[in-house]
Amino acid sequence: MNTLGVYLIIAALLFSLGLLGVLQRRNLIGMLISVELMLNGANINFMAFNRFLTPDPTVGQIFTLFVMGLAAAEAAIGLSIILALFRKMRSINIERAQQLRG
Amino acid sequence: MTEFFKDPVLLAAALGSGLPLLSMAVILIFTRHDQRVSATISVSAIATSWVCAVFLLVKLWGAGAAVQYQAPWLIADDIVIPFGYLLDPLSLVMLCIVATISFLVQVYSLGYMAGDPGFSRYYAFQSLFAWAMMSMVIAPSMLQLFIFWEMVGLASYLLIGFYYEKYSASQAGKKAFVMTRTADIFFFLGLIILVLGFGNLGIISMNDAAQAHRLPPYLITISACLIFGGVMGKSAQFPLLTWLPDAMEGPTPVSALLHSATMVAAGVYMFSRIFPFYSQSPEAMSMALAIGTITMLLSSTMAMATYDLKQVWAYSTVSQLGFMVMGLAAGGYFAGVFHLTTHAGFKALLFLCSGIFIHEYHTNDFRVIGKHGGRSLTIPMVCMTIGALALSGIFPFSGFFSKEAILGVLAQHPNKLWLGAGLLGALMTAYYTFRLIFFMVFPQGKPEHHGGHASHDHGHGEEEGEHHGYIFWCMAVPVMVLAGITLVLGFSHSSLEHFIMSTVPGALGAAAREAAADAHGEGHGAGHYMLLISAVSMAVGGIVWAYMEFGRKGSKQEGFLKKFPAVEELFARRWYLDDFLRKALDKAVYSGLTSVFTRNDRRIIDGAIDGICEFTVGSGRFFSFLQSGMLQQNLLVMIAAVGLVVLFFLFS
Amino acid sequence: MSFLSTESFAQMAFWVVVGLTLGGACIAVFPRNILYNVLGLALALAGVAGLYMFLGSLFVALMQLLIYVGAITIAIVFAIMLSRPLHLEVPERRMPKVAAAGGASLLVFLALVGVGLKSRWMVAAERSGDWSVEALGHAMLTKYNLVFEVISLVLLVAIIGAIVTAGFTRRLSS
Repeated sequence: MNTLGVYLIIAALLFSLGLLGVLQRRNLIGMLISVELMLNGANINFMAFNRFLTPDPTVGQIFTLFVMGLAAAEAAIGLSIILALFRKMRSINIERAQQLRG
Repeated sequence: MTEFFKDPVLLAAALGSGLPLLSMAVILIFTRHDQRVSATISVSAIATSWVCAVFLLVKLWGAGAAVQYQAPWLIADDIVIPFGYLLDPLSLVMLCIVATISFLVQVYSLGYMAGDPGFSRYYAFQSLFAWAMMSMVIAPSMLQLFIFWEMVGLASYLLIGFYYEKYSASQAGKKAFVMTRTADIFFFLGLIILVLGFGNLGIISMNDAAQAHRLPPYLITISACLIFGGVMGKSAQFPLLTWLPDAMEGPTPVSALLHSATMVAAGVYMFSRIFPFYSQSPEAMSMALAIGTITMLLSSTMAMATYDLKQVWAYSTVSQLGFMVMGLAAGGYFAGVFHLTTHAGFKALLFLCSGIFIHEYHTNDFRVIGKHGGRSLTIPMVCMTIGALALSGIFPFSGFFSKEAILGVLAQHPNKLWLGAGLLGALMTAYYTFRLIFFMVFPQGKPEHHGGHASHDHGHGEEEGEHHGYIFWCMAVPVMVLAGITLVLGFSHSSLEHFIMSTVPGALGAAAREAAADAHGEGHGAGHYMLLISAVSMAVGGIVWAYMEFGRKGSKQEGFLKKFPAVEELFARRWYLDDFLRKALDKAVYSGLTSVFTRNDRRIIDGAIDGICEFTVGSGRFFSFLQSGMLQQNLLVMIAAVGLVVLFFLFS
Repeated sequence: MSFLSTESFAQMAFWVVVGLTLGGACIAVFPRNILYNVLGLALALAGVAGLYMFLGSLFVALMQLLIYVGAITIAIVFAIMLSRPLHLEVPERRMPKVAAAGGASLLVFLALVGVGLKSRWMVAAERSGDWSVEALGHAMLTKYNLVFEVISLVLLVAIIGAIVTAGFTRRLSS
């Protein structure tokens, strides 16, 4: 059970579920949540490789911490964009935001 | 700048042709409201021009070679078109004619136009014309000539339509403009062919026989014919001759200056200017000969059927221009130029005399003028008779010499038909000229005194003094000067011939000289005397014929034409040329060409552009579904593609 | 084979954590009520923290709890409160879209699994077993100093950007 393949499949599942959410949710906040899931899938991969393959276990951890920092930044920016969009369009439905439609 | 002052010839040329422009500018900008100052400026400018012209003529009389000043103006690759002055005998003579007659006419206009509200405008236009005409005459390249040719046309349009509040005058101006412009299109096309073939448009190099070999003969013929199209418009040759009679709507001095003496002669002048070039193409010469003959005969018949004083002279101008073209086209370079010179003198004389009568009696109908005692105005009557005798070709007036020169050239032509036509033309000219004179000198029947203003004895009693005062003399003096010139000019025949033939360039010039010498040599033979006698007898015959019908006491004063009303109608309607042109325009241009072009414009050009637009817009619309604004769709396609790519590489 | 051996207990705990993660992820994606999604996300993130512990890094697991569960989830809850009233009707799902998204996700999942299982992973010849926080901190301030600085910069920029984006629009629109 505690092998690299199991972790990779779990990470892939998490990533795919997140992707499904990003592709299918119309709620912007829902999309943001799904993006967090995808990032976590990637993080699990880093940690798994770190655990089973690398010579120096600090690298993967630092990478994971870096992604967490990015996720925090992304969440902040994403939330402010959502707020701005909501103020402008009175909606956070992504399908309404299509002013650039040809 | 200093070159101008070092070289008196260049200074004189620049001053002479440039001053009228300056005067026009000053008049239009500053002195439009002060008639006296305007007239002074204009007349003094043209007087200076006249002095310059005479100075140039005297200075360069014995120079032999042509003097040319030019600066490169348009340079494109190896085509160089200069701008400047070309002073050869032909242009000097023409310059003197233009300057002299312009000067006399402007002096005359002081009287004729006195009190007219457009007096300043009139003098501005006169200056414009003088500038354009003189610059055209001394142009060294065909392009400069063409530019000023158009300027002259503009001046003509402005002056014909001078009384623009009169509907017929403005119409006549437009007609003249459109007709000459139509012809100028051909002129310009001819010039384009020349530029392409020769690489330059210098008059001297064009006339160089060596250069002719650079073009195939058929191209020379085509371009010569096209350029002759310009002559046809400007000199009112068949079939574009009807604008000139209509142009008589302008003030009479304008008719004298532009539409008889100088501007309409510009066509003939241009023809003689590039005469050696024309000689390269016998076909073009034959065409010119035919057109000149047709023009001369047609317009002579038209002149027989009109009772309008100025119209008669207009038709006679057309016919004399045709006569000049005949002379030139038959190979008589000097004959044509000489007739151009003498004609300028006596035709201006005739018009200015008519102007005095018209000013006096306020009518153009010479029957009315005769009945009201036109012959009591002795000075203009005598001068007019001198002009008429010159026009008919009676010795010793100038017309005799030049007509005889042209007939001599025609007699040398192998085809005697042209000579016959020339003699017939001389007969008709004499007939219609003296028909007019006899109507005025020997009026039959009582004058109609209730004609009001037209009466010389009563209606204008208080103006009597004025007629013989300043205004009358303003008009009479130029007339007398011109009469004197008409009397004298003929005797300058041989010296003028020597001068003009001295610089005809190249082998062709030699040939022309030879021909002229032949004509002269033969002139002392029996054939020449026969010709002389027949020509004079034709003229005298015409006069006698006119006397029998109009001058004799108790004659009915009805021409033989009255017996043939249909023919008279034909002549009076100008051989239906106007109707024909109108019809042709309606049929060919409005319903034919225009509709075709309109359809072409609407359907093909607009259609093509609309099609392009619609294709662009339509394809944009069609492909815009890609730009749906749906982020998730875009992302989905991208992700799916990435997934497929990865799977492809994984399982391949 | 004892049920209560340490090993089987650990194995059971591992599958519980995996179930927690995937179940939380499903709750985070599928329900249409946004609050359930957030709660599911919190569950999934906590599960991932557990996985990190199984992967041997207590520090990263705690950071995961701190940053993700503690901070990001709360921020998302704030966004929900500030934007759309919850009682409004949620638009109906459209099946073609869901199917297409599912297909694409399946493709990616297959690709990932394929890559993960088919690749021959090479284990490093010599591995240090130093998982201490001290080693981590040391590496971060020496060898991976740039990462540390860059993430600080990114966070700073993100904060300023968030303020500008959210703050100025309010001022401009009012």
